Amino acid sequence: MIAANNTSYLALIKPGWKFGALLVLSIALYLINSWTVLLSIFIVSVVLLLTARVNFKQIRLPLISLAVILSVVFILLGIQTDWLNALRSVLRLLTMCLLAYSVSLTTKFEAMLELFQQVASPVRFVGGNPAQIALALSMTIRFIPELKKVYVEVREAQHARGLANNPLAVTVPLVIRSLRIADETAEALDARGYDSEPAAFRR
Amino acid sequence: MSRNPSSSQTKNTVYIAVFAAMIAAMGLMPPITLGIIPVPITLQTLGVMLAGALLGPWRGAMASLVVVVLAVAGLPLLSGGRGGLAVLLGPTGGYLVGWVFGSLVIGALFKYWVLRRTGNTARFLAGLASVIIGGIGVIYLCGVPWTSVATGIDFGTSLVGSAAFLPGDLFKAVVTTLVALTVHRSYRGLMS
Repeated sequence: MIAANNTSYLALIKPGWKFGALLVLSIALYLINSWTVLLSIFIVSVVLLLTARVNFKQIRLPLISLAVILSVVFILLGIQTDWLNALRSVLRLLTMCLLAYSVSLTTKFEAMLELFQQVASPVRFVGGNPAQIALALSMTIRFIPELKKVYVEVREAQHARGLANNPLAVTVPLVIRSLRIADETAEALDARGYDSEPAAFRR
Repeated sequence: MSRNPSSSQTKNTVYIAVFAAMIAAMGLMPPITLGIIPVPITLQTLGVMLAGALLGPWRGAMASLVVVVLAVAGLPLLSGGRGGLAVLLGPTGGYLVGWVFGSLVIGALFKYWVLRRTGNTARFLAGLASVIIGGIGVIYLCGVPWTSVATGIDFGTSLVGSAAFLPGDLFKAVVTTLVALTVHRSYRGLMS
């Protein structure tokens, strides 16, 4: 989980402010061209992440893959343009990702999700339904372990038939069973009288 | 059986949630290795393509969007256990945005073009073309310029870099078309 119940000073700031600050800083980083300024912001972002008391195990693998991508970018840009330009690009991306991890790892998953739902709430003015969005998000989280189980079962069954590496033999049963789960759940929701229409729209 | 609007709305939401969970589950599983392609392929974009081809444009796009939103909010759903705000800001964020539009385009092409073809060969070719346009064309169209802007690498190099994934993606396009047409045959009215 790239989100956490953190106890540092960053966790005390409201998610909306952190998110807004990250957005503004990301845009600002692209407008700054001086490598010394970029380097100082990078150092600030490192300090921020180190003082935020985050669990580094959570981002070890993502950071390694980011480092690999960035070294490729550095070498490519260095050869194609010049090395100072390459340094600027890499500093920019690294700073942005470290800041993003500082925000993600000091914010609870629920709080982040709630923020996104607030951001999306104006959809009701164009005919969308915020209740349905909330239902879809929470239902997806509940379905992920179940679908993973189905996927493992199907793969094991096809492995027994010698078809484990045949994507068609794995995917068709997975999709059919997913559709059946969806139908059953929709029927169960109907049977329990779940009504997701907002009160204002009821006739 | 006649359905009132609210119950079909609930059904749409459940379909979106189940397919989003399927895309997520496909990313959590270890990648499948095939003899013909050297890089092991993850099935996550297969799920994105299938969501469009099976659920139609808007429900398909919503399923992809739900996965992206949950991943960005912090669930490690993307292949390799990635998640958090950094995945969107990083050099490959454009591909994630592309998923939503890719599913949308595949869904629209399937709904209004592929499923109206008659004859197996015509259907397969139309389906394959749709999945390649939406699942490769549209997704790369969002991802390649994004990488180029985020890193400063020029457009051509970024395009060449993404070509490494082309064999795997073409393979997934064929699988998606075959699966989608098989499922549509046995599960009629999925898009009506």
